[in-house]
Amino acid sequence: MHDFSPILAAFTAPLNVQTDWVSMLYMFPLLAAITIIYKATKMRVLFWKQLAVESVVLFLAVSGFMIGAVIVLNLITWLITS
Amino acid sequence: MNSNRSSADQGLRLIIVALVAWVIPGAGHFLIKERKRAVIIFVTLTALFLSGLYIGSISVVNHVNSRLWFLPQILYSPAVGLLSQKVQAGFTDDNGNHMEYNCYGRPCDIGQIYTGVAGLLNLLCILSAVYMAYCGRGQLIGREEEQEEQGHA
Repeated sequence: MHDFSPILAAFTAPLNVQTDWVSMLYMFPLLAAITIIYKATKMRVLFWKQLAVESVVLFLAVSGFMIGAVIVLNLITWLITS
Repeated sequence: MNSNRSSADQGLRLIIVALVAWVIPGAGHFLIKERKRAVIIFVTLTALFLSGLYIGSISVVNHVNSRLWFLPQILYSPAVGLLSQKVQAGFTDDNGNHMEYNCYGRPCDIGQIYTGVAGLLNLLCILSAVYMAYCGRGQLIGREEEQEEQGHA
């Protein structure tokens, strides 16, 4: 009989996530899930390769836009506060 | 008479597809023979929801203390309601003291966002499955393209 207690115990205590820029990286798995589900529901006929390519393209496009927005907003903040 | 009956059957079918898609993410698509979509939806949404629980602990699901987040979370599956009951009931430690599951700060935020978005994405998948069932879509659509693709490979 396997002992699943350590696995279950991992779900009863939160991870230690600091409030620094590294915690922003948690948006990428979320973004990946959103792009995969969006493409999986949107495509008329599902081919694995096409799904992978379109998901990666959408993921990179949205990631690039978000990173660009972060840079622009930081620049504006820096200009105002300096 | 027959058309009334068939439209009632169609309505019942759509309700069943929606319910099954809610109970198990991806099962609605599986029911209408969209097997690939079903597998992708199940794996992706389950991974996202479990990641949220792992980051913020199971206490991110709480229908009393964080009711607004519970509304999108319950869209993932009715099983989330059972989990919330368990979280609300708390646990007993080794010394026999009654303890509560707690989560604060950034891990709690990230966990709630992950699980909430998983629920909202499942709503999208439920609507997709119902729409495909309404249109009569299933494995039949795109069969020619699939055979053509296999012929090339």
